[in-house]
Amino acid sequence: MEIRFISGKGGVGKSSIAAAMALNEAKKGRKTLLAELGHQSFFESAFQKSIKNTPVPWKQGVDVVLWDGTSCLREYALHLLKSETLYRLFFENSVSRTLIQIAPGLSELAILGKVTSGPPRNIGPALNYEVIIVDAFASGHFLALLDAPVGLSNAVQIGPMAEQTKSIIGVLKDKAITQFHLVTLPEELPIQETLETSQKLQEKGWGAPKIWINRCLPDLVESEPNPEFKKFVEGHLERQKLATKQFPGAQKLPWVLSNHFESSVDQIAEVLR
Amino acid sequence: MIKELQSAQVIVCVGTGGVGKTTMAAAIGFWLAGQGRKTLVLTVDPAQRLKTTFGLKTAGEWIQVKENLWASVVDPQKTFNDFVRKASGEDPSSEKLFQNNLYKQLTTTLSGSQEFTSLENLLSAVSSGKFDVVVLDTPPAQHAIDFLNAPQKLAMIFTEGVARWFRDPGGKKENFWKGLVQSGTKQVLKILEKLTGSQFVSELSDFFQKIHSWQGKLESRAIDAHRLLVAPGTHFLLITGFDEAKFKESQGFAQEIKKSGYQLSGVVVNRVFPHWYRENRAAGGPLQKKFESYYQERLKTVEHFAGKLGTQISVVTIPEQNEDVHDLAGVAELAEVFANRIQPQ
Repeated sequence: MEIRFISGKGGVGKSSIAAAMALNEAKKGRKTLLAELGHQSFFESAFQKSIKNTPVPWKQGVDVVLWDGTSCLREYALHLLKSETLYRLFFENSVSRTLIQIAPGLSELAILGKVTSGPPRNIGPALNYEVIIVDAFASGHFLALLDAPVGLSNAVQIGPMAEQTKSIIGVLKDKAITQFHLVTLPEELPIQETLETSQKLQEKGWGAPKIWINRCLPDLVESEPNPEFKKFVEGHLERQKLATKQFPGAQKLPWVLSNHFESSVDQIAEVLR
Repeated sequence: MIKELQSAQVIVCVGTGGVGKTTMAAAIGFWLAGQGRKTLVLTVDPAQRLKTTFGLKTAGEWIQVKENLWASVVDPQKTFNDFVRKASGEDPSSEKLFQNNLYKQLTTTLSGSQEFTSLENLLSAVSSGKFDVVVLDTPPAQHAIDFLNAPQKLAMIFTEGVARWFRDPGGKKENFWKGLVQSGTKQVLKILEKLTGSQFVSELSDFFQKIHSWQGKLESRAIDAHRLLVAPGTHFLLITGFDEAKFKESQGFAQEIKKSGYQLSGVVVNRVFPHWYRENRAAGGPLQKKFESYYQERLKTVEHFAGKLGTQISVVTIPEQNEDVHDLAGVAELAEVFANRIQPQ
């Protein structure tokens, strides 16, 4: 199984790229899941489909799902407690709800536990996909997500929870399984934030992420008569060059001039091919 | 929108991450200061360069940026610590709480804590009487509505019913619990320990014991904050980027916010088209034409969206600036653009 996390500054096009990647993988014949994190689904309104905690088909062989901390934790607790009664006793009262809110990283750990629940860990309901593309949170929140199992691993050293935490970290650090991707734009603030996030990921031992530079333009300014527009494009191309220098090995993705999410995704998927 | 903003006591900028909320809040503050109002811009997460520009090295302080304009970065840890000190009546033993690991986590990463500390800073600023208007930049959220729900979520944790359980999860100290739920409680305790480890359980108990004397104040502070947010002098501005999905969400947000008694006075659609896409622009080649039809369609969607919001909520479109806003000159430029765009056509 392969897991790819896609993150980046808010607004850079993570969701488009994650969806496009998923389409591309499915086209290769691989059973693909596009997973969104959080409690409200963006893909739901973008694809005009009801998307909840169980995967549903999107298109071209890609399934889509929404994973949030609370439902992941419920599922995990049920698996751990192996008793419906105990589970209900614990989870259906305000004290437990408070606990879930308070326990630092518990919610995040549950999400990561779910993401890594397929082979080789095989915990809970089967997750039979060859590749899972995770449209993860924006950079800051994403780093906090990854911090959770590490923090918990320090706090909880023994017992089933500790074992789970260690095995989750094991899968996330296994480069044969997990890849981290950061999306940026050829713009100052996203580039800066991407550099910082990439550094932090490496400092924390998650490895160097793959970088994608979104919204790139082709070098076609010659035939443009409007000098102001030409200046705009030239500025953009300059920043593109800068971004490529900052991130050697980064892949450029085109600026798709469409206001419709799904058709933009299709166009990016074409390019990825 | 102009009238509301010019007479407002508090302007709350809400919106998701990545739409330029912080720079917009700074620009609006700059504009108000230029109008002669003593303005404070409370930011949460400004980019490093904006921080340097505004001289915001020490978080939590009100730094004067120019005439009539002050700025400050919210420091969640400091805000919580100050709150605890005050709420415990300057009891020196409250300092022990600051060492509790759970407390440290709570004050920074717990959902609702950033929002609570923003509001706490807002309350202090307003009650100081030093400013005519405070512009609050809210923490980046997945959804605009998160900001409004967060403080209540936080306050719920500190309600007595819940706190009592955590103070004494074994039921050893309160006889009241013994007879009623002992076996059930023991089960829950076991599960808790299994899920989180016994160290966490004891930290939790320790935490709730330490906050016992002042936990009610957190709840009442959250109520004070809510009162300020629904006051007639408080206006909400939704900052959004152009994004079909974000628009749909914004519509839902506008309905929700109205239901709850908040005043949404405007929506600012940021970076809606680039600088060169102005009215009397020169004709272009093939690439420019592609861009033009892209922005034309986008603007139509904005109009459609504005229509759906009705006449009570103004929708203002802000073009992209030539460069990223990262210094005072950039903020000043954006402020001027904003001032022009909110003029009635």
